[in-house]
Amino acid sequence: MAIVLEIFFVSLSRSDLPGHSGGRDRDLTSASAQHFISKVKNVMLSARFCWRNASRSCQVYRKSHSISQQLNAIVHNGRPDPGKSADASGFLSGKTVAVKDNIVTKDLPTTAASKILTDYIPPFDATVVKLLQQHGAIISAKTNLDEFGMGSHSQHSHAGAVLSPFSKNGVPLSPGGSSGGSAVSVATGQCWAALGTDTGGSVRLPAAYTGIVGFKPSYGLLSRWGVIQYANSLDTVGILARSVADTKHLYGCINAYDQQDPTSLSATVRERLGRKGADAKRLRIGVPLEYNIDELSPVVRATYLRTLNALQNAGHTLQPVSLPTTQPALSAYYVLAPAEASSNLAKYDGIRYGYRTPGSDASAKNNLPLYASTRGEGFGEEVQRRILLGAYTLSSEAIDNYFIQAQKVRRLVQRDFDSVFAQQHPLLERQAEIPSDEGGVDVLLTPTAPTLPPTIKEVKQQSPVESYMNDVFTVPASLAGLPAISVPVRIIGREGDGLEETDVHDVGMQLIGQFGDDELVLQAAEVVVQ
Amino acid sequence: MTAPSNPTLRLQYRQLYQNSLRYSLLGTCLTHRPALWNQVRKSHTAITADPVPLRKQLKDEARRKKAEKKASPKSSKTLDPRLSRWELTVGLEIHAELNTACKLFSPAATSLNAEPNSHVALFDAAFPGTQPQFQKATLIPALRAALAFGCEVQRKSSWDRKHYFYQDQPNGYQITQYYEPFARGGTLTLTQLDGIETSDCPEVTVGIKQIQLEQDTAKTILQPPSTYLLDFNRVGTPLIEIITLPQIHSPTTASACVRKIQSLLRAVDACVVGMEMGGLRCDVNVSVRERGTTAEGLSEYAGVKGLGTRTEIKNLSSFKAVENAILAERDRQIAVLESGGEIEGETRGWTIGQTETVRLRGKEGEVDYRYMPDPDLGPLIIGQDLVDHLKDTLPMLPDETAERVVNEYGISAKDARTLISLDDGDRLEYTEAVVETVMQRLASLPEKQSFDKVGKVVADWVLHELGGLLTTAGVPWETQTVTPERLADIIVHLQTNQITGNTAKKLLAHYASLQPVAEAAIPSVSKIIDTSGLRLVPLTEGEYIEMAQKVMAENPDMVKAVREKGQKGKIMWFVGQMMRRGEEGRVEAEKARSYVERLLEV
Repeated sequence: MAIVLEIFFVSLSRSDLPGHSGGRDRDLTSASAQHFISKVKNVMLSARFCWRNASRSCQVYRKSHSISQQLNAIVHNGRPDPGKSADASGFLSGKTVAVKDNIVTKDLPTTAASKILTDYIPPFDATVVKLLQQHGAIISAKTNLDEFGMGSHSQHSHAGAVLSPFSKNGVPLSPGGSSGGSAVSVATGQCWAALGTDTGGSVRLPAAYTGIVGFKPSYGLLSRWGVIQYANSLDTVGILARSVADTKHLYGCINAYDQQDPTSLSATVRERLGRKGADAKRLRIGVPLEYNIDELSPVVRATYLRTLNALQNAGHTLQPVSLPTTQPALSAYYVLAPAEASSNLAKYDGIRYGYRTPGSDASAKNNLPLYASTRGEGFGEEVQRRILLGAYTLSSEAIDNYFIQAQKVRRLVQRDFDSVFAQQHPLLERQAEIPSDEGGVDVLLTPTAPTLPPTIKEVKQQSPVESYMNDVFTVPASLAGLPAISVPVRIIGREGDGLEETDVHDVGMQLIGQFGDDELVLQAAEVVVQ
Repeated sequence: MTAPSNPTLRLQYRQLYQNSLRYSLLGTCLTHRPALWNQVRKSHTAITADPVPLRKQLKDEARRKKAEKKASPKSSKTLDPRLSRWELTVGLEIHAELNTACKLFSPAATSLNAEPNSHVALFDAAFPGTQPQFQKATLIPALRAALAFGCEVQRKSSWDRKHYFYQDQPNGYQITQYYEPFARGGTLTLTQLDGIETSDCPEVTVGIKQIQLEQDTAKTILQPPSTYLLDFNRVGTPLIEIITLPQIHSPTTASACVRKIQSLLRAVDACVVGMEMGGLRCDVNVSVRERGTTAEGLSEYAGVKGLGTRTEIKNLSSFKAVENAILAERDRQIAVLESGGEIEGETRGWTIGQTETVRLRGKEGEVDYRYMPDPDLGPLIIGQDLVDHLKDTLPMLPDETAERVVNEYGISAKDARTLISLDDGDRLEYTEAVVETVMQRLASLPEKQSFDKVGKVVADWVLHELGGLLTTAGVPWETQTVTPERLADIIVHLQTNQITGNTAKKLLAHYASLQPVAEAAIPSVSKIIDTSGLRLVPLTEGEYIEMAQKVMAENPDMVKAVREKGQKGKIMWFVGQMMRRGEEGRVEAEKARSYVERLLEV
């Protein structure tokens, strides 16, 4: 097997880093992709089975509920005193910014909503936190999330589930995840803006579910130094705010090269990104056919169509495009992200920091391997499920069928996007110079999620695989490392039939741009909001 | 980002260190179930492998050897008849710590004996949210090592994570180069002088499959009875793993190979900490096959076909351990095969003083390392210009140095090797300094002097005379007190016939026995010669003849033997008699001989 792998990696190594291209893998047909999807579903089921067995020996995962913070969006409040680092003349002077609790802060505990990081106070600040403070922002709170960012509804948290301010028949809606705490904090005005992290849609989905803006920049623009890893090749710091202008403002302050992050794009690469004088007055907007799925709810479909029509009426061009790898992309994501997670979370052993089981952790009497008790007690259900899934897909018997196939799918997803954008991918070797007006599009417009937020009751009834379906529209941009933003579009007239007063009033619309075209994506977002 | 520069961090690390005390309960378990932790262990030093202190191990071994010697007076070198039927094959995996200032992926300093947990960057201790930062400077010694073995440096290589849980591995994985190593395909040639098995002479060439860069682990320090303290200073120290092809067929040659690899790495300044300090660790793969069998149905490794099933012996920490472990494993495998059994592919262990390897885990207990490309680290691209530059500035390798020394000094290849291998090359430098001084002094003399043999004479004095004195006195080289100038002085006096060889030896012994004092306080060579009356005042012709005649008159039988029976060998007996009778240092053997020969009419 080693030889096969070697050949594979010669042609495909680093395919998990957007921008490193090899591209000789045309052998993955749609038939084999379908086969692949079904296999992934099987392995998810078997992983779940494994977890059930394992969980019997684990303690019950208790959720604590804070009454004082009814929505449970915040896990730690920041210090009211801005401190000496706050600069009154800074761009963000006096502005309150909440930070997702998987971004480390040395003044506040950082737990990633996991029991395994109980009472953990990091010895350093994340680069993005430093930048916020340098610009005079006040870190107002650390926000709740799905443990380590693993979830789409912010329900899997050791600090208890996050509740959306919206509800249906008295049942709270899902705030989306995993940056649900950040989204709710912004939506309810507890802060000016917030930082989240987006691995497969974790900023965009909660933004869509709470009626705010959620922006995931191109991979490598915002520093990840101090961002607790879930899946490094996908993890991206994102911004949640109530307007596109605020988003832009905050983004401008933290968008900088950081030598401490080996995947941070250097100054010379940054110069090559985007286009000079991007102009959103006449956008060529791509409408991906594959996003028009049966699961699209009527209200989302109606709002989507109305938005498209309005854009066309405003003088922008609509263009149907095809992104055939959209479906397998979700399966690939749920192989790659857990694989990296299983590796990244191996460091939590209770020796150097965080939670540790009382007594010996290499207990001979239970015949458990090293750290089994600490890790079994410290990680929640969803995290354990993904670690098991990832450990399996990386195992020597399975890596060829899962991890490596998924890497190939990832490459295909990237190629899909490259084939529809007018702008060339700035990090890929240029093939023959293609005139930019030869049918390419500037941005893609899709719904952020197929439906409006489900109630938390509905979420509980979903199987893990069903809940993963929420990410179907957000995952492709993550796999390709592209800039993507979710903006709220009002539900109007008959579109909103059956919605209550307490229900959400917006549908999240997602714009995706070519790698490095972040400026244009933000400008296009302004256009869509208008 | 290293601890000492930042007081807050330092505090953090102190806490870290104390935190590890919490680990004591695990220790209890480890002592009772060594097999459990060995399952997940990749490399550990003897001190962690076994709670028995090293000194006790060594003592036990010495005792055992003594007992063994008594029990079987037969030399261990007698050839085992089974070896004519079975052939041994060995491949080596050597882990060597690179000589670098900082760690592979953090700017923390590397250290040998620093205060525990004083050189630990955030990433080294696997703090959440930290990332690796490849330190380019670590490439230099790694590339030198690759060039020393004639490897092909790969333009592009990459980093992979190798996962296993163990407390000395804070991240839960080791970053290594599993799929794409940075160097491939070198060779190492061993000759008789490297101490290979006689049957391998005159030389044997061992292929190097690849060399990869990787991270070292933390040190686990046992606090008896059952506490394990963790020192993260070593975490992330750059290592190279050198993997040879299975082309070694004797235990002696295998250990010679490890020794030579160490000396090569030292010569190019790639690795300076030797095996004795844990800077070099070795795993060996051992298999046995029946001679004359075809490759069919047998194993293959990296293109080498027709191998028997191999076992791996982990963590050998001395040259002797390499040799003994292979010997024991070879004999075990032969015994299994001869009794009709089969060899199981498994991992085995070896402890100093044992006579048999011990099974650690079988194939089914093998850890699945779940290798995954590290998503934080891009590929490593090495420019040809750097490789060329290092190639041009590579220090001379030991074999080349030996050749030069043999040519320049006219000494034997064996003596040349000895000079080079002793005291980290210090002995050779010393010799060269002496040669240079002697040459200068001789050149400044009015009479023409022969320079031909100076190198050889000096080498002999350094190796045999000075070396012998130090060995007898038990004085280590570093503390010996004879400066190169002093030895040069003695040799110049000898070469110019101002003193006899005997006097020269005594002078050397005198200087060697001095306690280290200020140089000025030590009397010079010529001063001692003069004050002690050691200067050679040649005997006159008349004195020689008188002395020779006296000896002849006292020993008529001997005279007869030479003159009538032609026993010329007895001439030297007369010379010896004269030397003995003559005043200390005055009788020159050559002259005495010529007078004796003349008087005996031969």
